Amino acid sequence: MTPGPRPPLSSSASSPGPMTRPPPPGSAPQDPNSPHMQNALRRPSTTSGPPTMPSSPLMQRPPLPNGPPSSGSQSHPSPLQRPPPVGGVQRVSSPMMRPNMSLPGSPGMPRPYQSPQIQSRPPPFMGQGQQGSAPGSQPAAPMGYNAGPPNGGPTGYAQHPSQPTTPRMQHQTQQPPGFQSPMNQQQQHQQHQQQQQQTPQFAPQQLMQPPMQGQDPAASGMVVGPPTPTPQMGGAQKPKRVYPTGMNSFQEPTSSYDTGFQPAAAQGVPPPQFGAADPSMQAPGQGLFVPGEKQAPTFGHPVPAYQQGLQPLAGQPLQPGVNQLAGQMGGMNLNAGYAGQGPSLSTVALMGTAPKIFDLEAPPPTINLPANASITQSPHANCDPSYKRSTLNAVPATSQLLTKSRLPFGLVITPYRSIKEGDEPVPVVSDSVIARCRRCRTYINPFVKFVEGGQRWKCNMCYTLNEVPSSFDYDSQTQQPVDRWQRKELNHAVVEYIAPTEYMVRPPQPLVYMFVIDVSYPAIQCGMVATAATTILESLDRIPNDDGRTKIGIITAASGEPQMLVVSDLEEPFLPQPDDLLCNLSECRSTLDILLNRLNDMFKDTQNVGNALGPALQSAYKLISPVGGKILCLQASLPNIETGALKVREDPKLLGTSKESTLLQSASSFYKTFAVDCSKSQVCVDMFLFGSQYSDVATLSCLPRFTGGSTFFYPAFTAAKSEDALKFAHELAEFMSQRIALEAVMRVRASKGLRMSAFYGNFFVRSTDLLSLPNVPRDQSYSIEISFDDNLTIPTVCFQTALLHTSSSGERRIRVLTLALPVTNSLSDLYMSADQVAITTLLACKAVERGMNSKLDDARDALTNKCVDILGVYKTHMTAASNGATPNLQICDNLKLMPLLTLGMLKHVALRGGSQIPSDLRSYAMHLFSTLPSQCLIPYIHPRFYALHNMPEHCGTIGTDGIQMPQPMNLSSERLERAGLFMLEDSQNIFLWVGREAVPALCNDLFGVPNYESIRGGKTTLPTLETDFNQRINLIIGKTREMRRTPYYPQLYVIKEDGDAALRLWFLSHLVEDRAEPIMSYYQYLGHLKDRVNNGSF
Amino acid sequence: MSMEAMVFLFGVIVGAGLLFVKVFFVILISDLEVDYINPIEMCNKLNQLVLPEMFVHALLSFIYLISGQWIATAWNLPLVAYNANKIMTGKHMYDATEIFRTLGQHKKECFIKLGFYLLSFFYYLYR
Repeated sequence: MTPGPRPPLSSSASSPGPMTRPPPPGSAPQDPNSPHMQNALRRPSTTSGPPTMPSSPLMQRPPLPNGPPSSGSQSHPSPLQRPPPVGGVQRVSSPMMRPNMSLPGSPGMPRPYQSPQIQSRPPPFMGQGQQGSAPGSQPAAPMGYNAGPPNGGPTGYAQHPSQPTTPRMQHQTQQPPGFQSPMNQQQQHQQHQQQQQQTPQFAPQQLMQPPMQGQDPAASGMVVGPPTPTPQMGGAQKPKRVYPTGMNSFQEPTSSYDTGFQPAAAQGVPPPQFGAADPSMQAPGQGLFVPGEKQAPTFGHPVPAYQQGLQPLAGQPLQPGVNQLAGQMGGMNLNAGYAGQGPSLSTVALMGTAPKIFDLEAPPPTINLPANASITQSPHANCDPSYKRSTLNAVPATSQLLTKSRLPFGLVITPYRSIKEGDEPVPVVSDSVIARCRRCRTYINPFVKFVEGGQRWKCNMCYTLNEVPSSFDYDSQTQQPVDRWQRKELNHAVVEYIAPTEYMVRPPQPLVYMFVIDVSYPAIQCGMVATAATTILESLDRIPNDDGRTKIGIITAASGEPQMLVVSDLEEPFLPQPDDLLCNLSECRSTLDILLNRLNDMFKDTQNVGNALGPALQSAYKLISPVGGKILCLQASLPNIETGALKVREDPKLLGTSKESTLLQSASSFYKTFAVDCSKSQVCVDMFLFGSQYSDVATLSCLPRFTGGSTFFYPAFTAAKSEDALKFAHELAEFMSQRIALEAVMRVRASKGLRMSAFYGNFFVRSTDLLSLPNVPRDQSYSIEISFDDNLTIPTVCFQTALLHTSSSGERRIRVLTLALPVTNSLSDLYMSADQVAITTLLACKAVERGMNSKLDDARDALTNKCVDILGVYKTHMTAASNGATPNLQICDNLKLMPLLTLGMLKHVALRGGSQIPSDLRSYAMHLFSTLPSQCLIPYIHPRFYALHNMPEHCGTIGTDGIQMPQPMNLSSERLERAGLFMLEDSQNIFLWVGREAVPALCNDLFGVPNYESIRGGKTTLPTLETDFNQRINLIIGKTREMRRTPYYPQLYVIKEDGDAALRLWFLSHLVEDRAEPIMSYYQYLGHLKDRVNNGSF
Repeated sequence: MSMEAMVFLFGVIVGAGLLFVKVFFVILISDLEVDYINPIEMCNKLNQLVLPEMFVHALLSFIYLISGQWIATAWNLPLVAYNANKIMTGKHMYDATEIFRTLGQHKKECFIKLGFYLLSFFYYLYR
């Protein structure tokens, strides 16, 4: 193993950071979140430790993982050096975000590998920005873009006019039928427009315009309201196209739907309940004209999104963009969510109709909190579902009720989701006043109560009375009284505190990136090293480096071929010059450039097939463990030397048997032990695996799993294929530039009576309710199961997640997410408030765990059983049929996609039976199952499927809210047409399916080839042509790659109907509703569920 | 002193030792539950003792076997087999990454073993 050439020596001397760590701040607790440690905090003068604790070493809390043992005296002034707090919400738009696509001329980041179609994309997406600045201006007219479709319009590609459309599909009636002549279609389209203009709902006096930034709300003479689409205006038509010019901003609330994390598919198809809730939505809207926000409707009632425009965010200047985004966020969770459901449970029959897949995009069921549950009427008082959502939006009062309902109860948390252009940044409390309950350590939140004239506050978890800090009402620095109701922590459910020194055991660590690059023969040969070096070089500027402390190191791992510094002792790796190998990014930039440019050449003639990953990791660990940081491991061959050596253990005979799960478990204990060590030293390991052969993803992904890292897997990678190189380069660059959180611990508190019982995701569980995450990557999701300790006698329960972390700009921060839910005694409320998306996310994690630890069969059975249980209990208790056999399956409307999603999981690579799935692919899919956030996991389980050959002409053009996507279709091969062009995407891959009778015009317009035969199948990049159709498809693909918050870059495959059989089967395996031996089709599956429900076997 | 008395005296001493080890296990496990110790430390401490404990127990059983104490041997054999099986399947060590998921199991096992050693101790003592 040869550590790479070392960078200049000047680095460590001037880098102030943790290498020259000051003595620890006395017996500062490792985790201030912990109730036990609080005593110590409260009595800084006690030097003998927390008095309540026995002094036996056994009984004391463990010393900090990184910090020296807590022995110092408190009087030690801790020379903590922390950069001055960044005031207010000065959040730099993080470079982890994609370069701003909405500004055509924006410089963006250097992304030379970016595909041309993205670079050349016209200004799309977040149309709100433009609207915000010029509310009255006309949106880019979508009609102009594709007026007079050159090829006779999209419909021209449909060759079989007689192709029957499936009458079942509700949405098809809304879609211009594909077989109409273009002329007809346009005519119809115009008629449609006229109709809509006459639609009474949109009469001006009812139209409501959201106040724009910098615009006096009262001056805009209209009330703002959510769009009130009526059933006849749903469907493929985007309402915005028919509005009078001045009404553009009317679109705002809807657009939050589309540009948020759940874009596209449901465009223009509002959830059915939307319209129904119309009257109730408008009533509060009237209140808007009253300037005082206090009169706004209570939290339990629908709070219109537009309100937020009126409320300057507390304590911070009104920021252009921010509030508007806030409005959108609010629109997403409150507006849509709250308006959602009437009081009654609506039961739907499952069999005989195609599943209504649009509802996958629907917001979670309403949280019907009692009136005045929150002390401020802020629309942000409750947590946005993109941060934290519960499987049940009403909590059962007793564990018996929960058991009876058979519904899983848990939280899906994405605490560190990325903030894209158009999202509201997390408000920051920067004055270091952190009010917490002295008993249960809950942070003050919008659901506490002020008592005794506001002198004290009553904790909403444990009902202890606490003093209100004086700085809530009086600012001692400016000597001015302040309004406590303006405090962000009382108005926002998601809030970030800048933590004072009590929350640190050492100065906040800098970002440290340690690359461990495999330079063995397979790695060089597949081009991984060259691609990686180029990408790292180009991404150096995107690595967060606000205060110039970021450090980089590179270790290359092979097997002892002398290069530069050689560590020849593989058994006891040592570091010749520990300080100098890790260099400061800013100071050693030129050296790094030189090294990275030469990296591939240095090893290009290697014939070495050995790889000593274990010793390389140990060296990297020794190097960075005093600081903590990130080890990025790029591995193209199986480690086969010394510690951590792995064998090719893939045995096709085991696949598909009950022994298969042994292949999914770690093969070597080294990786688990090493992961635990890393976790202790705040080191995170990320794995980029490139497998031309078996790469043992199961074992190697152990490291990320327990250190809060991520795994990326590129099967059959070869940089010679530009698509492969592009995907890897994109993901690596995106990953490196993420503004991650460091040295974090996460704790979830809940109201008395509830307990967090199981945790799923990538972290190390350090105590019964404390998760330790050396790194928190953006957009990783964690699922937590909740169990009952006691029955609940309170009207609302609260879940509070606290993430104590160091931001990548070197600040210690606490992110607090508070979710309040009502308690219910009725089974019907419970069913009505069940969130099928969150349930699926939780069940996916549980199934993966079951599959790894026992048998895949068990995991699949458990999923089906859960479905049967839920359907059975629902039938018995909620429908008239009760015990008898029924001809149909019934379930409440908000759970109607459970069977489909369950079937999707059963058919997914992660859980599907059979002996065809290599364990690497399965392991990777399992990894994604347990880490993907809901908005990626749902398409991963149930891909989106579009017909492109006959999509309405506005699809793929830029509307006011970004690129318009076609209608998603049901995943059934019935939809495939011989002359069609279909797209299917599962958030990891995009497939373009070309029917064998595709007309030459289509081939020419899209691929630039004369006929179907000349289309090349497989992994590909779509050419950029001048044709309208090609541009639209490119836009749709571009949008698909962008629209979910995730570093993953879906790869495009072209599937020809008579092409490569393996590819075709792979594509067809995504069609969940089809029969795929030996797994049933959707209708068979429903039949199976029905039989079991009728037999009472639940 | 007869051979038999020697063997059982040895049994009593070893039994007491095992008893103490198991009590230590139980203490550490309950410490973990109430968050007085972190799982890594706990696993490191316990894992040092797992193999010695099993070895000592197996040794004791072996001594009973060669000294012809059939009842004592029969009493101890199932546990020896159980331990051997655990070592074979590689599940004898405490795994810090899984500890909270398996804590209930470990606790149950510890209490059963504790009871077993306690009974053994009195059997050896009063026989």
